[in-house]
Amino acid sequence: MVTFDDILPRVTTLLRKHREFVDQLDWLVVNRDLNSRVRLIVPAELEAEDANQSLLEALVREVEVEMAPHGYIAADGVLYESTLADACDGACATQIEEFKNVWFADRLATEGDWSAIADEAPGAARIVFFSIKGGVGRSAALAALALTMAQSGMRVLVLDLDLESPGLSTSLLPEDRQPEFGITDWLVEDLVDNGIIIIESMISTSNLSRDGEIFIVPAHGRNPGEYVSKLARVWMPKVNADGSRENWSKRLQRLIANLETKIRPDVILIDSRAGIDEVAASCVTDLGARLVLLFAIDGSQTWGGYRILFDHWGRSGVVTKIRDRLQVVAAMVPELDRLSYIDGLREGAYNLFSEFLYDEVPPGEPASHYCHFETSDEAGPHYPLIVNWHRGFAGVKTLHGRLVEIDDQELRHIFGSLIDGVMEVTRVERSHE
Amino acid sequence: MQSDFFDSHNRHLSDARRLYGLQRWANADHLFGLAAECGLKRLMIAFGIKTDNDGTPEGKYKIHINKLWSEYEAVRTGHSQGVRYTLSPTNPFHRWDISDRYGSQSNFDQKRVDQHRLGAEEVDRLIKQARKDGLL
Repeated sequence: MVTFDDILPRVTTLLRKHREFVDQLDWLVVNRDLNSRVRLIVPAELEAEDANQSLLEALVREVEVEMAPHGYIAADGVLYESTLADACDGACATQIEEFKNVWFADRLATEGDWSAIADEAPGAARIVFFSIKGGVGRSAALAALALTMAQSGMRVLVLDLDLESPGLSTSLLPEDRQPEFGITDWLVEDLVDNGIIIIESMISTSNLSRDGEIFIVPAHGRNPGEYVSKLARVWMPKVNADGSRENWSKRLQRLIANLETKIRPDVILIDSRAGIDEVAASCVTDLGARLVLLFAIDGSQTWGGYRILFDHWGRSGVVTKIRDRLQVVAAMVPELDRLSYIDGLREGAYNLFSEFLYDEVPPGEPASHYCHFETSDEAGPHYPLIVNWHRGFAGVKTLHGRLVEIDDQELRHIFGSLIDGVMEVTRVERSHE
Repeated sequence: MQSDFFDSHNRHLSDARRLYGLQRWANADHLFGLAAECGLKRLMIAFGIKTDNDGTPEGKYKIHINKLWSEYEAVRTGHSQGVRYTLSPTNPFHRWDISDRYGSQSNFDQKRVDQHRLGAEEVDRLIKQARKDGLL
């Protein structure tokens, strides 16, 4: 019986068996469609070549037999395309390692594939707050960081992209300062070219900071309205008058670019959805983040989730594009046995980073030439920044009310390690400008 | 005869391209329109519209491409599988008419056909996408 995880190894074995034929092709694409069934895509000119047709048919017949029920009948098992780019268009495509000319095109029902890592965005540093599980104090940490950065004179733009569980804006803004619209409204209005009308009414400034400024763009406006109906439309691609298509994540990037032009922030803090989710994929991989904070609680759920993600980056060949931007954050570190808890969490993080993201240093080679860290190396992204659990933040009704009251000493006690770590990254970024 | 809109899309488009290459503008124009119609009908069936026994779309969709382009949009957005199968908002076939086949070929030139050729190629891209996605 063939199941999903057998598809790639099996098809690779078949290609190996037909290597002589495969090697002479300009390119070959193994296409895994939305129903996880496999077809081969080959150059269009092959359709007219009798000699190669019989070799192709032999391969496709084997695909039919060996891949069932994840294959097609041989008569319907081949697609022809003019170019490799056309064959891979719209798919998450990776090269099959042992072949120079064979690609695996994975078609996904969602657009976020977690493996197209955008280059770092020019302009203000974008810092993404991500966690595998919700309820780990991400929003509170973001709010504290925004406050500290603003107090140091920075212009801080905060985006609530936790669209399916919104609420960050209520943490940073009292009710009477909530703007009329939010990101969800813009994504819907943009589909009918109406985004420009509402953009001015979706930004609010916080009254928490006396020195710099915190600009907040919430997930929804003062009145969420028909939020469920709007949320179900934010994923829509937009078709422009010239027929060009812009997926929702590209539209979101356009929104952020517009906001950046309007506000001219020094830093952009982005609250991501938790988990392996469509919005989170966009936040972590598409928005050109300088830094992705991986909030973690030491436990099998956390590491199991990050393992899936790191493994995916490994398989997709994008490890070198993403690993430098990651930073583990030990969230809600308990007061009891604090140090041994942090040691355990660091160990858990290190195990994953060294298995999937760090380079192995070949014997005799200097480690400094590689992305390689020891467990105790503070420079490694596995080495956690700390957010301490604090009773003052547990079960507060409004984070805004709590932040109004908090003094600097208390803020530093809870968030000091995180603040220093992120400020350092932002300073480096700013000194590059 | 049972309808096969996938096959008929492909053959109309293939013949239209040949005629276009030979500057046979009038019949190329006719076939680009039919190719686009068959392609969209095939996609609409894949999205779930009902068909008669002979495989043709039911009542309200028995229309040609000058009207079908907008109807397709309404069907597509009502079906979850249609979300990514977007067409340009402006119908390139709004001046195309099935009865143009009775007109004199002096009424047809490359400029007129090009608009319809691009529309048919746009539909063909969706057909190819549907094949790769496993929808067809």
